[in-house]
Amino acid sequence: MSDEVIYQCVIMGSEGTEEPVHIVLSDEDNMLDDEEGNSRIFEDLEPTSWINDEDTDVTTFFHRVDSDQIIYEAKKKRCKMIGKYVMGDLLGEGSYGKVKEVLDSETLCRRAVKILKKRKLRRIPNGEQNVQREIVLLKKLQHRNVIGLLDVLVNDEKEKMYLIMEFCVVGLQSMLESTPKKRFPLWQAHGYFCQLMDGLQYLHSQRIIHKDIKPGNLLLTLSGVLKISDLGVAEALDFFAEDDTCFTGQGSPAFQPPEIANGHEKFLGFKVDIWSSGVTLYNITTGLYPFEGDNIFRLFENIGKGEYTIPDEIENPLRDLLHGMLQKDANQRFTLQQIRQHPWFLRKPSQTLEQVPVPPLRGDELHNMTVLPYLMDFHYVEDSASVQPQYYTEHERNAWAEGVEPECYPSEWADHVSDARSRSKEASPKKFQDELRYNHGEEVLENPSEANKRKSKRRTTSCISVKKFPPCKQS
Amino acid sequence: MPLFGKSQKSPAEVVKALKEAVSALERGDKKAEKAQEDVSKNLLLMKNMLYGTSDAEPQTDIMVAQLAQELYNSNLLLLLIQNLNRIDFEGKKDVAQVFNNILRRQIGTRSPTVEYICTKPEILFTLMRGYEQQEIALNCGTMLRECARYEALAKIMLYSDDFFNFFRYVEVSTFDIASDAFSTFKELLTRHKLLCAEFLELNYDKVFSHYQRLLNSENYVTRRQSLKLLGELLLDRHNFTVMTRYISNPDNLKLMMNMLKEKSRNIQFEAFHVFKVFVANPNKPKPILEILLRNQDKLVEFLTRFHTDRSEDEQFNDEKAYLIKQIKELKPLPDH
Repeated sequence: MSDEVIYQCVIMGSEGTEEPVHIVLSDEDNMLDDEEGNSRIFEDLEPTSWINDEDTDVTTFFHRVDSDQIIYEAKKKRCKMIGKYVMGDLLGEGSYGKVKEVLDSETLCRRAVKILKKRKLRRIPNGEQNVQREIVLLKKLQHRNVIGLLDVLVNDEKEKMYLIMEFCVVGLQSMLESTPKKRFPLWQAHGYFCQLMDGLQYLHSQRIIHKDIKPGNLLLTLSGVLKISDLGVAEALDFFAEDDTCFTGQGSPAFQPPEIANGHEKFLGFKVDIWSSGVTLYNITTGLYPFEGDNIFRLFENIGKGEYTIPDEIENPLRDLLHGMLQKDANQRFTLQQIRQHPWFLRKPSQTLEQVPVPPLRGDELHNMTVLPYLMDFHYVEDSASVQPQYYTEHERNAWAEGVEPECYPSEWADHVSDARSRSKEASPKKFQDELRYNHGEEVLENPSEANKRKSKRRTTSCISVKKFPPCKQS
Repeated sequence: MPLFGKSQKSPAEVVKALKEAVSALERGDKKAEKAQEDVSKNLLLMKNMLYGTSDAEPQTDIMVAQLAQELYNSNLLLLLIQNLNRIDFEGKKDVAQVFNNILRRQIGTRSPTVEYICTKPEILFTLMRGYEQQEIALNCGTMLRECARYEALAKIMLYSDDFFNFFRYVEVSTFDIASDAFSTFKELLTRHKLLCAEFLELNYDKVFSHYQRLLNSENYVTRRQSLKLLGELLLDRHNFTVMTRYISNPDNLKLMMNMLKEKSRNIQFEAFHVFKVFVANPNKPKPILEILLRNQDKLVEFLTRFHTDRSEDEQFNDEKAYLIKQIKELKPLPDH
């Protein structure tokens, strides 16, 4: 597992005694199941160094160190290849596994790889099934606005699966979260919405109902092309099906239409996607959700009634479009064709407000290719010992983490990994997230993965193992 | 107004000058060379008004609006397209650029140029016939595809008699023109789903009798491309009615079975994707069922050995296994 980033940090002695205490800690996101990494840490640890330490003073036993004095050493970039793909840095993570950047060494195209671990999949309800379905569906799809699956590699020994996908920089959800009002200027929203409709029309023409359209599942490439992603709960209609009747819905609660909220046994599939696209459009233009609720029951009750208000600042062509897409009666709801002929769709709003930019990844606004340092190391650095290690402080690390994202990585990248867990978490307004987890049947099942994530977060602190090397004891 | 150099021409002046020059070119009198020069010069001026240059920004909206208005009033667009073959190489490209820019113009939800062309469909027909002249075919192609993005214009083209000329254009011997024509043809048949579905339903017999000829073409590229497009059309849910109609016709089944045996593996593979629909149909009409039954054993044997080296393509193998199973289980309809 040489690709896992392990931060080594060197602590300067607190009284300037130059007593080097080595803290080896693993980055939060690499900690999850990096057994190999862990064992390496513990091998280095000599328990005797603790036993022989007779210093009774607690303050010296527990070395208090100010956080700004913790220095991390960036882990050396060891080049690693999966098939013909050179691995780069982590882009994001979901309950299924990680998403990393890779470079196709034959075509030199930037790609993303979704690393799925069978062990994790088994813990998620319908996990393996959903992934299988997604692969089957994505393989036969080819459209500018639908995420492309280019390759699937399997490592049976490690029980890992690598899905090579088109490279995207960000999801609309993290872009929204990077703005104070959680919304886009109208012209920008219009551009994304038109692309969403193009992609959706293609999916529907291929008899596929996405069932989980939401900002978190809409990714952007570097050139701003929108890609519909996460077909984990999508349904393909039978080739000879008379109409688009569906029986199951398992998308994100806040984006579900009244017919699902009211528990209808069957409903029209294409209209589900229209409704969720309507909620999405509402959300990216207002920063709000048309329906909210303290818990899933309230939320579904409110959706079921179909009563909502549109903020006054939303003016007419858009207002009318939203009303058309959020019609309670699926038969009254707009069709894709009606949307495409709607005045708001046809008219490109003028670029008045400033564009919401793609937020930087770990401080890098330009989203440079992260594979490069690995290649540099592989080809140019012969004696790696002579290379000056890069250091940075806890403070800097935290600043990056905050600057980029509260959780360090764009949350959608988690969604790129067909993420049943974040489906409930991201889609729903924060207030009722907790209720969601415990009250809704489906969500309860998803609990383990959520709990797992939290646990792993807590482990961040406990994973710091302090070690004094024998030579240091003398001082 | 600049202090030095010529003062800038107004849109009306440019349009007027260009119209005169193109007319002179059309007449082909002695001053042809001078006319050619004037055409190029004014086209360039017009292009720069719309796109700007490295030193100058594009003109203001008001100027562009004036220019567009002058173009509509003077009917210059049609004149330019009619005389496209007389304009020099760079000029042809400028015409296409000016045309495409003006076409994209929007006022609110309206596209005035689209509305204008709707009233002058001759522009579209002239563009479509551009495929008959080698030297302007590709320029016309870029303009046509830009037009095809607008449903109203696509509709005029689809329902025109000239549309059926495409079945000829896609087969011409010049490869670049044939493929350009094919991409325009495909765009027209796939871009606006409902419009296309309706067109295919209404003109089913005419379209598919023409299409049959493409599938039987001597030209490998035509055969392969048209078969692929046929698959796309039939498998698109919007064309459900057309698909059911297509797969009820035993002649179509025979054709696909013959294509399964083509020399080219690519054609075999594309044919498979159309053939599978015939077999998967839960309500096979009697003639179709009879053909399949008559060839039941041969088909099972053939499919078992069909493209066995595609082991990594799971979906294909699943579909193939499904077809074999379906064909094995075929039973004659009970006699009534």
